[in-house]
Amino acid sequence: MGLKIGIDVGGTFTDFLVAWEDREPEIFKVLSTSDNPSVGVINGLSEIAEKQQPSMNLNTFLSSVETIVHGTTVTTNATLTRNGARSGLITTEGVRDALEMRRGIREEQYNNRYTNVEPLVSRYLRVGVKGRLRRDGAEVEALSLADVEKAIELFKEEGVEAVSICFMNAFANAQHEHAAAELVREKMPAAYLTVSTDLLPSIRFYPRVSTTVLNSYIGPILNDYLEQLTGRLSDNGFNGLLLIMQSNGGVMTPEVARKTAALTLLSGPAAGPGAGLVYAKAHGQDNCIVVDMGGTSFEAALVTGSPVLVNEGLIDRHRIALPMLAIHTIGAGGGSIGWIDEGGLLRMGPQSAGAVPGPASYGQGGRLPACTDANLVLGFLNPDFFAGGTMKLDIEAARAAIKEHIADPMGMDVETAAAGMYRVTCNNMAQGVREVTIKRGFDPREFPMVVAGGAGPIHSCMICEELQIPFQIVPRESSILCAVGMLMGDLKHDFVRTFFARLDNIDWPALQGLVTSMVDEGGALLSEESIPAERQRFQVKLDCRYQKQYHEVSVVVEREWIDHADTAAVLAAFHAEHNRLYGYSLEDQDVPVDLINVRLQAVGVTEKPDFREQVYAGADASAALKGERDMYIFSEKAFKPVPVYDGHAMRFGNRVNGPAMIEQVTTAILVSDNYDCVVDKFGSFAVFEKGREELVSSVLKEAE
Amino acid sequence: MMSQIDPILLSVYARTFKSITDEMSMSVEQTARSPILCEAKDFVTGLYDAKGHMLEQKENLPILAFSLAPVCKYLVEYFGDDIHEGDVIFHNDVFSMGNQNNDVAVYKPIFFKGELVAWSAVKGHQADIGGNVAGGYNPRATEVWQEALRIPPVKVFDRGVIRKDVWDLIFANIRLEIVQHDMRAQIGACTVGERRLLDLLNKYGLESFESHKLALFDATRKMMEAEIATIPEGSYSGEGYVYFDGHNEGTKFTIRVTVTVKDKHICFDYSDTDAQTNGFVNGTYTSSASASILTFLQMVNPDIPHNEGMVGPIEMIIPEGTILNASYPKATTFGNHLCPPNADAIIRALAPVIPDRVTAGWNNLLASLTTGLDEDKGEDYVDIGFMGLKGGSGAMNGTDGYDHIGMIDASGGILDQDYEMFEQQTPHLLKKHEYLADSAGAGQWRGGLGVETEFIIGSEDTQLVTFGDGDFEPAFGLFGGGDGTLNIISLTYPDGSEVVPNNKDLIIGVPRGTIYYQAAGGGGGYGDPANRDRETLTREVRNGVISSKAAKDLYGFEGGES
Repeated sequence: MGLKIGIDVGGTFTDFLVAWEDREPEIFKVLSTSDNPSVGVINGLSEIAEKQQPSMNLNTFLSSVETIVHGTTVTTNATLTRNGARSGLITTEGVRDALEMRRGIREEQYNNRYTNVEPLVSRYLRVGVKGRLRRDGAEVEALSLADVEKAIELFKEEGVEAVSICFMNAFANAQHEHAAAELVREKMPAAYLTVSTDLLPSIRFYPRVSTTVLNSYIGPILNDYLEQLTGRLSDNGFNGLLLIMQSNGGVMTPEVARKTAALTLLSGPAAGPGAGLVYAKAHGQDNCIVVDMGGTSFEAALVTGSPVLVNEGLIDRHRIALPMLAIHTIGAGGGSIGWIDEGGLLRMGPQSAGAVPGPASYGQGGRLPACTDANLVLGFLNPDFFAGGTMKLDIEAARAAIKEHIADPMGMDVETAAAGMYRVTCNNMAQGVREVTIKRGFDPREFPMVVAGGAGPIHSCMICEELQIPFQIVPRESSILCAVGMLMGDLKHDFVRTFFARLDNIDWPALQGLVTSMVDEGGALLSEESIPAERQRFQVKLDCRYQKQYHEVSVVVEREWIDHADTAAVLAAFHAEHNRLYGYSLEDQDVPVDLINVRLQAVGVTEKPDFREQVYAGADASAALKGERDMYIFSEKAFKPVPVYDGHAMRFGNRVNGPAMIEQVTTAILVSDNYDCVVDKFGSFAVFEKGREELVSSVLKEAE
Repeated sequence: MMSQIDPILLSVYARTFKSITDEMSMSVEQTARSPILCEAKDFVTGLYDAKGHMLEQKENLPILAFSLAPVCKYLVEYFGDDIHEGDVIFHNDVFSMGNQNNDVAVYKPIFFKGELVAWSAVKGHQADIGGNVAGGYNPRATEVWQEALRIPPVKVFDRGVIRKDVWDLIFANIRLEIVQHDMRAQIGACTVGERRLLDLLNKYGLESFESHKLALFDATRKMMEAEIATIPEGSYSGEGYVYFDGHNEGTKFTIRVTVTVKDKHICFDYSDTDAQTNGFVNGTYTSSASASILTFLQMVNPDIPHNEGMVGPIEMIIPEGTILNASYPKATTFGNHLCPPNADAIIRALAPVIPDRVTAGWNNLLASLTTGLDEDKGEDYVDIGFMGLKGGSGAMNGTDGYDHIGMIDASGGILDQDYEMFEQQTPHLLKKHEYLADSAGAGQWRGGLGVETEFIIGSEDTQLVTFGDGDFEPAFGLFGGGDGTLNIISLTYPDGSEVVPNNKDLIIGVPRGTIYYQAAGGGGGYGDPANRDRETLTREVRNGVISSKAAKDLYGFEGGES
């Protein structure tokens, strides 16, 4: 297996993980170039080539690279900043406003200043055409191609670059959509086109039209970007495989991404959970919670064998009904600003100081107290070793900001106020973890927590105390976890078809035929991506519900159940999943169960880099001890001297007892007085509740 | 002894209470059967202390919300010492603080180390509650028994054991099987709340919980007092109007409120309101109090926590025997829908004093419910036309009204059916659901747009129930802003004849192929239309939500296309 590189373009930094065949992986970070992110990518690669011993030119280096996996937020940013393509929508006469109405929701009920989000297609470019299908797909009225033509004329006049087509009940019969699409392709060959049933052939009009429009809105943006990127890479000697990260945690080829651009919309954090699983597996665990705390946001996700998928989500209040990882994001990060509400309660975030002006302690003009400022006052950050010493922190500025805005108004001293800011931040993040665990029917205490992000490991002990989680894993690569995860991603393609049936009265041959055709379609796509049959995997899910329920539960089913028409097995799996999610099932009440959708995920297993194991170095960590610093101890509400270790010098087996601080260039780990820590064989820091030696003993025993 | 207040822990309690009630809400939303609960979210979840004081609520539909605490207090009094771990109590009785017969509450007492420390509760609108007419809306009713099964406080679980006889008695009097399952879903959500609150108590102990709870009430009360203190002291009066009592055409009733602001307190006094009607157009104490509170909450900081401290500085005077608080045994099912005229009265009273914090009038509710046989499936269907009933909100200084939001008592909390699901669940064929051009009240800030809905009825012998108002009086404009448009429902039978139902009506035998048409009106505008931003107008004319004629006539704007 050859050289692989994971590249994660973020708002501030572009992260690189270089996975060599014969040595430990390397981490690089360069500043992102937001105007044209592909420039930053090439800059970073040049820097990596140059830093090799002996240094290489970019061309030589890139020609030796086998695979580049790339995560991009260009589509996300284009949506959030409203810089997508000029778009038109052709839809059924009478329902063109569904896109803008969003089913009539106002998310903030008591807030009369809260306005609706601007639709991605202006009303005059949403054109209704005659032609109607019944709920079963039968034609009530023929499609008016004259109407479609009129829409096309309007779009041409208006300079529309991207067209969406979405008709009522098309999930049951795609003929009208395809006829309209043919005409659009003929008359507007240069336009980006999305047909709803090609992207999402399932029931529910609003989610389908919204997803279709999102895909068109950002399709041309992604195409331009990929063209630039692949051009620059091949100009500089790269002839390996380029893969693009998707929101479902998998990867895809640029060819697939061009057609289904919406699959990248929430891909920013999607590589993290898969990476977390790799580190958890080192401890024999198939399940974990993965958290990532950066400068402005905190993300939490759950992995149960594989990262948990949901069937839809939101971006900027627009619905996107494509499978994506269940990642919960809240506005809590190092830059989160502390403030006091009208009732006198301390609140943290979601406003963030960002990178500019940044927290008060950055000394760049920020005057408001941020989470980072509190961490500094509490002794959790070293003012001289922030970002490895590249940036000095001004503790007096931090104290002054906290005093003025928090401590004085609340009538407390600066240290107590800082401790409060820290605690409220941790409580907010713990609520975020609850969203992905307790609310989905999982007990967080049963999962190790993999902690990522520059600011994550300073807060994770208190988050875990709040949730009674006894075990955390902080990877050495914690600050670039997503770049790691990209190299762990498989090719993943999701398919859905609506298929109505009562489970006890299924037309099995029809269902078997549908599943077979979906598997064929997925297999063909993977084959196009050069995945041989032996590395293709298929998972079938059935969306079921008790008759007259409105929301479905996705149930994983075995292919044999389908092949053998095993209704009982499907039913049992459905009852069990409903019970797990909602605390009850109606198994004993003979309530009919309806099938609504068939889902298929086609997976092309990719080769993963092996992380090299370290040699056992014994428990003694004294060689890594840098000194002591006064830090705030919550249980004593007082400052005490706490030993500080150099994380880079700690090796497999090294152990420290909390309270302790472990510093690395890109992150610091606070081991609270309720936890101890030992380095595992991949060099990750395994942080466990005091007295719970059994949590790490198996990993250590192997070595001893 | 009171334990010391930790101001930081106070934030933790507040945030956790909120997260618990959110989680209870999600549990109901995902497991309920009736679309009224899981699609329209016509329910509220809450936590209360041992005496029934509100700790936090998730108010999906605010009109139900401010009945839960008063009923909880009533239960505590009613059962006295006879409250035990594992009990589950049902309640809907409008003559003991219930707000509407269909809104049935589940209460679960929460015990910590053998002591009653709190309650979790869920109140939801049930698809049926017995009485004369399926679904509960009986425009002909004059007494409560013609509307519903009365459920005064009753234990359906006693110390963890189901009282099968009681359970069966209740559900033997309710038409639809799904109501049982939905009540189960509500009990499940109460259990979720119980578990999470106990986690919190196990962590911090009862003393800390009790003292911080009081501190939280206190902090919130101060927050509300500070909001009230920004309103000039004085007494202000306003009126809102109700049209047609379901029996006598041409009837009109007046809601009169006097709002008095004094010493950081606010009082809503309805002593001069018209007497109760002889039909079902009557409020209950808690439906009317909820209406006043939710209207007022839209005029204060929306981030204020919802607990006992929030309602402390708000006083209500709603005399029994008025249209807002009918006396036993009057029919009251329409009571929740007296919120819009009640809100009108409050807004009219306060607009002169806090002109920057009120909206113009909102579109009033006019709803319909169709039932019949879906022949393709051989199944009966019931559909509340949510998509058709949602008009626009009133504009305020600096912000246009919200398009297609629906009545003020839901404020965008009730959602449209998805169109394709609507056609799966009913035999109807949707022809149109679009913004209604020129429905928004003109103004420097325009009202929210209303919508037009048109579908072809797909069942023979269809029954149609209408309930609502807003077909006589449009949403009013403020400070030079224009009025919105009226609500309309009309039926065009296959033979071409047109039937326009009353706003509270029951029509039977509607044939297949009938065209159902509904217009939900727009909200009122705010400020002189001449001052509306011209660029915005250009865009609106282009988008066809304001016609060029209206742009010219109402806004004096010539730039629109013809």
